[in-house]
Amino acid sequence: MTEKNTNKTPDNKKIGVYICYCGGNISDHVDVEEVKKRAEKMPNVVVARTNMFMCSDPGQELIINDLKSGKIDRVVVASCAPSLHEATFRDAIKRAGSNPFIYEHANIREQVSWVHQGDPATDKASVLVASAAAKAKLLKPLDPVRVEAKKHTTVIGGGIAGIKTAIDIAQTGINVTLIEKSSVLGGQLNNLDKLAPSGEKASEVLQELLDQVLNHKSITIHTDCKIEAVQGYVGNFSLSISKKSNNKIEKFNIETGAIVMATGAIPYIPFDGEFGFGRHEQVITLQNLIQILKDNKSTGSILEVNGKRIRNIVMIHCVGSRQIPGIHQPKEDGKLNEYCSRTCCAAMLNASNQIRENFPATSIYEMYRDIRTYGRGQEELYTQASANKVVFMRYETDAQPEVSLTSGSDYPFQVKVKDSLTFNEEMDVPADLVVLATGIEPDDVSGLASMMKLPIGTDKFLLEVHPKLRPVEFPITGIFLAGTCQAPMDAGEACNAAGAAAVKASALLRKGFIELDPFVAEVNPDKCQGHGACIEACLKEGALNLVEVENDGKTVKRAQVTAAMCLGCGACAAVCPEKAIDINGWALKQYEDMVDAIVSDGFAV
Amino acid sequence: MSPQAKKQENKILILATETCAYPGADSVGQAHSTYPSNTYILRVRAPVLFPESFYFDCFKKGISGIIVMSCGEECPYEGAFTAMAKKLDGVYKKMKEMELDLKRLRLTAICTVCNRSFLNEVNQMDKLVRELGPPQFKK
Repeated sequence: MTEKNTNKTPDNKKIGVYICYCGGNISDHVDVEEVKKRAEKMPNVVVARTNMFMCSDPGQELIINDLKSGKIDRVVVASCAPSLHEATFRDAIKRAGSNPFIYEHANIREQVSWVHQGDPATDKASVLVASAAAKAKLLKPLDPVRVEAKKHTTVIGGGIAGIKTAIDIAQTGINVTLIEKSSVLGGQLNNLDKLAPSGEKASEVLQELLDQVLNHKSITIHTDCKIEAVQGYVGNFSLSISKKSNNKIEKFNIETGAIVMATGAIPYIPFDGEFGFGRHEQVITLQNLIQILKDNKSTGSILEVNGKRIRNIVMIHCVGSRQIPGIHQPKEDGKLNEYCSRTCCAAMLNASNQIRENFPATSIYEMYRDIRTYGRGQEELYTQASANKVVFMRYETDAQPEVSLTSGSDYPFQVKVKDSLTFNEEMDVPADLVVLATGIEPDDVSGLASMMKLPIGTDKFLLEVHPKLRPVEFPITGIFLAGTCQAPMDAGEACNAAGAAAVKASALLRKGFIELDPFVAEVNPDKCQGHGACIEACLKEGALNLVEVENDGKTVKRAQVTAAMCLGCGACAAVCPEKAIDINGWALKQYEDMVDAIVSDGFAV
Repeated sequence: MSPQAKKQENKILILATETCAYPGADSVGQAHSTYPSNTYILRVRAPVLFPESFYFDCFKKGISGIIVMSCGEECPYEGAFTAMAKKLDGVYKKMKEMELDLKRLRLTAICTVCNRSFLNEVNQMDKLVRELGPPQFKK
């Protein structure tokens, strides 16, 4: 560790540089100690340190101790992408009693060690540190922008995730409006029977939740709704809704502080002819089978469907999930469902066990690629199915089972499969019923997502910011997500996500105001000449105005920023002839100095 | 590792928006896809911040190529993309007057998962600046 005499620096800013090894992720390609040596020679850098994991407590302590002892007053951390740990290090600075905005991040993992090797990686990492330090010396302490927030949340989607979110938020004393597009609450839970792995009835779980949501004084429910427009910002969103009631369309607005997307998912519908689906009545989906079991009144030892005795059932797993380019047929838009739908293995085994235990004369053959009983209590379903003498056959992706009609046989179908459990032996399994373990797909909310600028993944599920660091959050502050709009999950997992989203929405609104990042425009009153070019360039009406002020006994016009409305885009900064307006934390002058550091290769700024 | 840093030739400056292109560049990193190391990515909120002079100053300082990686029409600051694109038209006009190769400045839209487009843009610009060398200004 090296500390330089602070008196020798050209001005009074004292920068501490902290470089992370990331347990080898960075140090395998970047000579971290060499970067440190170079950093020590950079202008204003008084301390340079390294650590195996800067984000660890001991790593953060290095920063905190240097700040507390007064060695440094500006911080640069060179580590992973800022999206992961910028907030971590700002918090550490706050804990040291300093202003969190004296911080700049150098991204030397995602943008250096993971994409470059050897000396060029070390050189580039050094330049990025120099560039961050050049910016850091111009940073100043900032105060968050305070925005008044409505203590109200709107939950979009009335399935189990939406219902649970609404209940959990309402219990914290915040009003909730629950919006559902169909005429009933409950979503896909309405179509389920015994939930895996517990076996409890979906209808009973739903009824319990409905009792709570319908009777809660703080929850307003609107069904048959369509969201026409969403405007505003965190704390102050406005939703325009049209609602169908008694053949009339009623229109109204909801003013709300936060929004939770719980728009759910729908079952995959096989294409015409996929394993015979759509062409033969006895080729059905998992959802159809669940409905059959729910309604079934058969009392004998054999399952009867539509009056027909079902001796053999063939179940085919992974239909509409884990699709592979070149093997599976894409949809009209060219897309494949490459993800695992997660819930179908357990649901299928659950159904198999029910059938085998209630109708022992009905045999079951499960043809699978992999059995994924990932959750608590699910592996037991698999063991139970084996004990119930369900026959398992494993097929390879490029050798899908083939369903064909029989002639002259007692059974309507035969399913040909190459079973890798028996060394690729080819078998023909006669079947009365073929059940396809259809997965799930996100409901199409592209219109709503584009209206609200929400990110959608290539798999069409909505994208949270980060599954570990910022789960159930969107990049747009004040909008959250929960349930199967986010990824395939079972009812229990959807409720977990709902709980998380509810807590985050409640925590955001509970104070009645929100503190936003202070990255907004600021006018230097000494430089401003009142030209008004910034006001013309401003993209947000009302964020910038010319106001009259007294200056040396004269009334003059000067630009004034309304911080809560300012987007912080910088359109104003680009046009000011006096350079009298700039963006706090992202100033033009800071970029100019960063470029200087880059062109001088990081050590002769 | 060499004790002294090597001077990097033909530097490419990338102005990457914090909501789209910058996480896009991170996504390329997550995929461990390599690209030339003469690239320096600056995280920006919206490139509309930069006046025309910023681009010329960069070239004068010795930057060989600039890629503005924006969010395109998906820009979270409504109107910022159009305003910035208009500004770049002015920059191109002056570049022509100054006899600077217009290809040294490139405007593109890169999303958070546009790995292929990112690599394509970077490799093309790298090829170009290696051919052209640093920008020369007439006195």
